[in-house]
Amino acid sequence: MEYLRYGEDGIRIVFGDRIDPVINEKVRRYYLYLKSLALKEIVDIIPSFMSCLIRFNSETISFEKLVSYLTEKESRISAFDVPELAVHEIPVVYGGEGGPDMEFVVSYTKLSEDEVIDLHTSTVYTVYTIGFMPGFPYLGSLDERLYVPRLETPRAKVPKGSVGLAQLQTGIYTYESPGGWQVIGKTEARLFDHTTEPYCLMKMGDRVRFIRA
Amino acid sequence: MIEIIHPGWLSLIVDEGRYGHADSGVPPSAALDSFAYKMLNVLLKNPSGAPAIEVMGKDFSLQIHADVTCALTGARVEATLNGEPLEPWTSFCAQRGSMLKVKAILEGFRYYVGFSGKMDAEWVMNSFSTNLECRFGGFRGRQFVKGDRIRITGPRMEKPNTIHEKNIPGMKPPHVLRFVEGPEMEYFPHESLRRLFEKKAFSWYNVSSKSNRTGIRLEGEPLAFKERVEKSIVSEGILPGTIQIPGDGLPIIMLHERTIGGYARLGVISRADRDLLAHLKPGDKVTLETVEPKEAEQLWNKKAQLYDAHQKHYRR
Repeated sequence: MEYLRYGEDGIRIVFGDRIDPVINEKVRRYYLYLKSLALKEIVDIIPSFMSCLIRFNSETISFEKLVSYLTEKESRISAFDVPELAVHEIPVVYGGEGGPDMEFVVSYTKLSEDEVIDLHTSTVYTVYTIGFMPGFPYLGSLDERLYVPRLETPRAKVPKGSVGLAQLQTGIYTYESPGGWQVIGKTEARLFDHTTEPYCLMKMGDRVRFIRA
Repeated sequence: MIEIIHPGWLSLIVDEGRYGHADSGVPPSAALDSFAYKMLNVLLKNPSGAPAIEVMGKDFSLQIHADVTCALTGARVEATLNGEPLEPWTSFCAQRGSMLKVKAILEGFRYYVGFSGKMDAEWVMNSFSTNLECRFGGFRGRQFVKGDRIRITGPRMEKPNTIHEKNIPGMKPPHVLRFVEGPEMEYFPHESLRRLFEKKAFSWYNVSSKSNRTGIRLEGEPLAFKERVEKSIVSEGILPGTIQIPGDGLPIIMLHERTIGGYARLGVISRADRDLLAHLKPGDKVTLETVEPKEAEQLWNKKAQLYDAHQKHYRR
């Protein structure tokens, strides 16, 4: 494995170069293993589609020292037991006010609105990672016919519950925020609650199916 | 108890940040000027990590309904207690009923207000920091508005203390921000980056008025992407200080409110220059310069030693 520098207090470990369930599973395994080590020098771990980004405390350990420690531990990863996955069903109201970019998606993909919805609901997605905002699941992979680019200039406000598309990913805004995804619908599902543990409904690796509300 | 009379443009409770939950997408939401925040608690003889108020903008005022020591750090402000002028980066004793006012900002952008004692802030996932977007932590998960009252547990009168003039960091524009090369640096043709490397005065950007606590947007000549390069990446982790380049080619410096980004990462602002990000205000001139990781580490070590020495000195 290659440990790449990310600024002064980051380490980036790359497992592949595309959105791919096999690559993502490698990330998940590594991330969960790393978490199980509970190293106090590691401040945060951000696993994503194909890489794992570590923020470490550069006051207490150097990049070189931490990398050599992690390299030493690598051999045990394959024997590490990864936990079970959950399956979540998410009801969505597509188009209309809650889906302001449905029109763009229809015109860009040259599909009808019904076809867009059918394609979006017919896939069982993998939670490739959680991030961007608390509890936001990055889901993939989208049917290739639904490929759309991100907005060139992000929107200042995207409402909570918005279901968006970007390239071959789909996701759900857990809070109102700025964002650059093409929004096609809205859900009432609660994905994150800061008052109750576990805070996050979904975990990396879980499966998700959208249904028409 | 203290009562917010005027909240300025934006005032909210912060601390050192919320860590350990980035895998659920929970960002640090930390005080943007970490040194000013730390020195505030030093001046107040509070434990490190005590909640403080981060303020942006002049016309901030509050009434103090307790006998308590207060301090102001961060941006250099023109402030008064009951009409009497206050020194920058200095703690002072306030009697019950005192009025603290900030009339003008002379240098910098954000400042920190605190009290000897503990402000009754909401503790969420190991931090007092306000997450404005998600509305949790700090004061009811939101910024202060006129009339808010926040309790101080165990207010104390401490001996006033001051940070020497020479130890207050400079915050004047133009700002030079040094950065370590990021994973997508090669997305940009050398010609487009040339000006960043040349360290010439014509590579200036202006801080956009669309900047906020999530990111600082820069305006100026956009960076060009190489042909055939996708203008966005498969979303990946980012850390505070990451410079993202969206499709329009104008840099956004991410602060402490995001864990993942989908735009090309040009680089990461060096730790030594990160506190300065708190003081970039709309219209300020900014230039970006590359540094090697080793050089950035050295810059930080120098600064950290200075900070440590200050903390030890003033803690006494």
